[in-house]
Amino acid sequence: MKLLAPLRVLMPFAVLVAIWWGIKSGAQVPDKLLVAPPAVWASFVYLVTHGILAEYASASLRMIGLAAMISFVIGVPLGFAVGTNRYAARALEGTLRFLQGISGIAWLPLAILWFGFSNTTTLTIVIYTLIVPIVFNTMTGVRAIPENYVLALQSLGAGRLRIVRDVYLPGALPSIVVGMRLGMGYGWRALIASEMLVRQGGLGDLIFSARTFSQIDRIMVGMVVIGTLYIIVDRLLVQPIETMTIARWGILRR
Amino acid sequence: MAEKIEVSGFRHFFQTEGGPVQATGTIDLSIRAGEFVTLVGPSGCGKTTLLKAIAGFITPSEGSIVCDGKPVKGPGRDRGVVFQELAILPWRTVRRNIAHGLEIARVPRVQRDATVTRLVGLMGLVGFEDRYPHELSGGMRQRVAVARTWAADPEIILMDEPFAAVDAMTRLTLQEELGRLCVATRKTVFFITHSVEEAVFLADRVLVMTKRPGTIKAVLDVPRREAGGRDWDSFTSDPVMQKIAGEVMHLVHAERV
Repeated sequence: MKLLAPLRVLMPFAVLVAIWWGIKSGAQVPDKLLVAPPAVWASFVYLVTHGILAEYASASLRMIGLAAMISFVIGVPLGFAVGTNRYAARALEGTLRFLQGISGIAWLPLAILWFGFSNTTTLTIVIYTLIVPIVFNTMTGVRAIPENYVLALQSLGAGRLRIVRDVYLPGALPSIVVGMRLGMGYGWRALIASEMLVRQGGLGDLIFSARTFSQIDRIMVGMVVIGTLYIIVDRLLVQPIETMTIARWGILRR
Repeated sequence: MAEKIEVSGFRHFFQTEGGPVQATGTIDLSIRAGEFVTLVGPSGCGKTTLLKAIAGFITPSEGSIVCDGKPVKGPGRDRGVVFQELAILPWRTVRRNIAHGLEIARVPRVQRDATVTRLVGLMGLVGFEDRYPHELSGGMRQRVAVARTWAADPEIILMDEPFAAVDAMTRLTLQEELGRLCVATRKTVFFITHSVEEAVFLADRVLVMTKRPGTIKAVLDVPRREAGGRDWDSFTSDPVMQKIAGEVMHLVHAERV
């Protein structure tokens, strides 16, 4: 059964490719609108062997990594500060929801006016997109911690720092991880969109430049890589941390 | 005898959007060192408010609370608290939950382990030391909560309906275990409950509260039994105990909300 698991995951992808190929050859779609899977594969091999894909993909990965780090370092303490203060939490909840409504992409025009067509623009957009769910989820996580945990620890003689370390941090961790995971999803999308406009490298730039020369094969390679990299980052990095904290502490089964 | 807890002229109001709501009437009470005092009253009478004030979680609107000659200014490790539920940390094993107070007090590892081992034995938690709370039953979790409080060795222990959320059978066992633990350690205990039988079974002295805003309407002494003699079999067959329980029941009954 274990051997069948990867097959179950890959099966729908195979179906997708089959449909794509079927439409291409069945309806005789011209090459300037859609190319067949072998052409995309050939393009992929070309981009890999010439180091082009590595360059663009690593630019995107570096950017999301940097943005994630900065967002985490700023967002988590901010979420804590807001979450432990009842009045601040109530006051900021509406603002955060409002900001969640304005996607990072909607900030692009303003960011471009401020920072030009530069990596700073992209970084700003991605950090903005990542940080809102991180702050929001950290705040929610902190606020969901039962008051008794804190009171009990105070009665055991714990000071403020101790309570942050022993109660707030571990108590909010699963929620922080959820925020990170959501943020990475939103951030990755915003990153690609920003790269398409800013044109300073990255997978978004790759596929948007390919459009200029109608390189459909290249666009499709880029899209597949964008999706694949997201899955890899999410499944191999973020999800294991989430499962670990939730399963071990039984947060959901209290 | 030394007064361990001295509450005088205590009265509390909660601030709500519709104005202040009176939580308790005026309460005076004093508890001697080593005494086990239970407070029984209808729900909403303000008994938890009183306990929270003694614990230092809330500041009384009126009156003063003095523990060991010092006015209460906030929570402290001289006053341990056992809650009804949701108090032990789900991300710590049984052992690390019980040792938490000692960890905070920077007690050396070896000594910490010895205390945990002793309490794990006393509270019937042997074999569960490395389990997480979600792997335990509700009764087991309350045992851990009790053990954690006792491990920190406070002079005063405040218990807020600690067995109200466990099933009736387990409750009987926990009450007996608590009785034994108290005989073994001689703490000053202030215990809140809405169960008349529990109040009389555990107490040296039972306080009965009126309905909200609650005041103390009666105080009944429960004659001290022989050490270790707090078990349900002898309690139910002891006419003196049954008479006191009947009296308390009568007093509480009149306060039905």
